[in-house]
Amino acid sequence: MEFVSPEGLRLDGRRPMEMRQLRAKIGAVDKAHGSAYFEMGNTKVIAAVYGPREVQNRSQQLNDQALVRCEYTMANFSTGDRRRKPKGDRRSTEISLVIRQTMEACIMTHLMPRSQIDIFVQVLQADGGTRSACINAATLALADAGIPMHDLVTSCSAGYLNSTPLLDLNYVEDSAGGPDVTVGILPKSTKVTLLQMDSKLPMDIFENVMQLATEGCKAVANYIREVLLEKTKERQKFHGV
Amino acid sequence: MVGLSIGEKHFIEGGVAQDIRTDGRRRLVYRPIQVRMGGTEVIASVKAELGRPSSLQPDKGKVFINVDCSPTADPIFEGRGGEELSTELSGALQICLLGGKSGAGAAIDLSSLSIVGGKICWDLYIDGLVVSADGNLLDALGAAIKAALSNTGIPKVNVAAGASSDEQPEVDISDEEFLQFDTSAVPVIITLTEVGRHYIVDATPEEESHMNSAISMSVNRKGNICGLTKRGSAGLDPSVILDMISVGIHVSEQLMNKLDSEIAAAEACEEE
Repeated sequence: MEFVSPEGLRLDGRRPMEMRQLRAKIGAVDKAHGSAYFEMGNTKVIAAVYGPREVQNRSQQLNDQALVRCEYTMANFSTGDRRRKPKGDRRSTEISLVIRQTMEACIMTHLMPRSQIDIFVQVLQADGGTRSACINAATLALADAGIPMHDLVTSCSAGYLNSTPLLDLNYVEDSAGGPDVTVGILPKSTKVTLLQMDSKLPMDIFENVMQLATEGCKAVANYIREVLLEKTKERQKFHGV
Repeated sequence: MVGLSIGEKHFIEGGVAQDIRTDGRRRLVYRPIQVRMGGTEVIASVKAELGRPSSLQPDKGKVFINVDCSPTADPIFEGRGGEELSTELSGALQICLLGGKSGAGAAIDLSSLSIVGGKICWDLYIDGLVVSADGNLLDALGAAIKAALSNTGIPKVNVAAGASSDEQPEVDISDEEFLQFDTSAVPVIITLTEVGRHYIVDATPEEESHMNSAISMSVNRKGNICGLTKRGSAGLDPSVILDMISVGIHVSEQLMNKLDSEIAAAEACEEE
């Protein structure tokens, strides 16, 4: 199958180095302490953060740092063909773990010992790159909840199809069987906190693809900062500062 | 459940008794409703698949209703925590929207979902997702499903002629032509919650936390009751139930009109 046309356009009309449209909204769930809605093209997710609060299960309490928990759920109607998946299947458990580890790396957990932070991400529509979208949404939600962090974490995926590196794969490109590199970075220090790839790639090409994904992460970071700044200004105005 | 002190409980109960609630509403006034196609609070989606009709009702389609509670709404829904509430809500929705076993009194005309009698029909999957819980979930889900159904287009299906009667006929699904549902018969759901000795509509979580009992009824445009469920543990006097029903029908008229205008506005907004 041809994923990049001779004119250099992808199936959805993007250029190889082009991202899908990003949209974000802070405050999607009223009752949560922090929440955000994040959209990457047709991939739509909601993240909600509860905490820091008292640890519910005492045996899990950590005396020197906060306990970070994460749950990833997909809505029944999020995929193309409707499937009833049991809660806590292997895929969502794995993604929950990935998101938890990524977010834990940037939260200043040592400032909140003996407390618990819950991150819930809900996929409303899945069109490739749910992992990245969830991490981006979780970052925004954590920032909205006012939880101290070293930096924002942003994530983006990239792939390699028809001998072209492609940024931000959609579902069709993702299921083509090519490599799919998901990268998460701390944009200020450009440190990589998440790196996952399936399939195989030669070393030099991998470098290019990863570079592309990192550029994508930076673009996401710029957008997220803009959104946060706008929200802060709005709040400032609201409080009349 | 919401943690409330005794003082707060008395405050709410006293308020309800004097016909003014904590957020300034009267007993029978709804909060402003908003219909957003794919927005916050509850999301309803309708998906259609081709399937085989059941042998008992060969000329009718099937409708499945399912509700999920997302842990984003409340941390207690984490893991399997939301299952009990999900089952309760989907059960109540099924009673209110699907009618009896025969399919009579259903919100959707099931025979309109049939394509070839006894062979192919549309299976309609209605999924509700609770994203943010702030009381009165059932009414919100009912309204969201109504909105989603009016936004649903079922592709037109052409059946290949000449197929023999015993094999599954081939069908051709049109990408361009869609049939819209007639949602005028879809009822709205009204929940009347009894707090103290009075009852209110559209309860907030604080009010729900010390309800005695609640009655959910679905009422269609003609003012007929399509389904009725009672929740909560306390018993109700039969005369009170009849009284609640008549009040519910009265309230349903306002809600139905409000909802219809909101759906029309949302659709107009989407077309632009």
